Amino acid sequence: MSGYSCLVVEDSPMMRQLIVFALSRIKNMTVTEADDGIVGLKKLATDRFDLIITDINMPIMDGLKLVRKIRTDERHKNVPVIVITTEGSKEDRERAMALGASAYITKPIQAPQVIETVKELLKL
Amino acid sequence: MTARNRKRQVSEPPADLHAERETFVRNFLHKGVELTEDLIRENQALEAGVRKLEDDNSRLRAQLASNDAIRELMGTIEALERERKSLLTRSDTLEKAFHQNEARQHSIEQELNDLASLYVASFQLGGTLSLRGVVRHICELLEQLVGAQSFVVYVLGADATSALPIGWRGVDGSQLAPVSTEEGAIGDVWLTGVARVLDPVTRGDSQAPLAVLPLTFDGGTVGVIAVNKLLPHKQAWAPVDHELFKLLSAHGATALIAANLYEREDGVRSALQDVSQHLDETLQPSAEAKRAETVLADTRLAETKVGSEP
Repeated sequence: MSGYSCLVVEDSPMMRQLIVFALSRIKNMTVTEADDGIVGLKKLATDRFDLIITDINMPIMDGLKLVRKIRTDERHKNVPVIVITTEGSKEDRERAMALGASAYITKPIQAPQVIETVKELLKL
Repeated sequence: MTARNRKRQVSEPPADLHAERETFVRNFLHKGVELTEDLIRENQALEAGVRKLEDDNSRLRAQLASNDAIRELMGTIEALERERKSLLTRSDTLEKAFHQNEARQHSIEQELNDLASLYVASFQLGGTLSLRGVVRHICELLEQLVGAQSFVVYVLGADATSALPIGWRGVDGSQLAPVSTEEGAIGDVWLTGVARVLDPVTRGDSQAPLAVLPLTFDGGTVGVIAVNKLLPHKQAWAPVDHELFKLLSAHGATALIAANLYEREDGVRSALQDVSQHLDETLQPSAEAKRAETVLADTRLAETKVGSEP
């Protein structure tokens, strides 16, 4: 039985736990957590993922820089990326999408919204 | 006339009689032929009539059979119509049940999501004894789970009449000053210990907070959270927001006090020092309780004595 793996890059432990909870409701989903962009990149260097969820506003390396790095990496350039941010502004959404994000979720996040977006991107 | 002539006259028919006989025979035969032809024609006509009747009969039989088939078909159509109506009714019932289930599923999903938010909030709030960590979790709870854009967390100051800001988002921290615990919305909440939440949400400013939440400990208010602004796309409070406020009110102050006390300790071992002794002390009845017990026993004794007197 094949499963899916997801990398969650989020500096807030609370948000990370909520996202992990939402993802745990998708069958055969394995989640790897990273608390900033740098740790996320290290995980990407050693593992392959079917999906990446990243916060935009993070210290050290923000989500937009991470998306740019992912899209220039031959190994991960086709992996769907969902960005999460506090602001629901159109500019932020457009910036993230222009960099290659596949979908956009605004805070406060709702588990059904996360599940629906993930299922849509993974065609589940 | 002689006898011979007379005899000849009697035995031989006259010549015109022959002709007459021949005419008669010819006519007779002719009429026979005509009669036969008439009979043949009549026979043919009758045969045609019979054939026609047979055709009619066949047609009528076919029609009768066809009518039976039509009646049968009509019966089938009626039965199918009944079945169709029954299926439609069943389909309507199933559709209603489906919508009900869908609504129920949605409601369960929402409830699950709310419970997850409460669980995560509680888990994170109680999961640290770092004072900065607790303040950060309170702020994150308000920011990430409630969707507050601007808020300030105050705790009771040393003078007991003012509250000091210890955490905030969406405001300039350097501009924040202690607030009175006896005035305005904060004063009201401080006094009553009851949250004041504007519902429906109006776009407020720091002068009129959208929500003021008490942080309570041991029956008293030891802090407040003033929520001034929500995220632009959050138009109304969600039911879970009120539950999160209750959680913050009940556990926020406890987490802050515990974390602050822990700051004075020299690590976990120091913090856990004399735990058994303290537990024993709390299990022992206090001197006051002992006194009350003695008074109660004396009263019962006196009542018994009065009751036993004749």
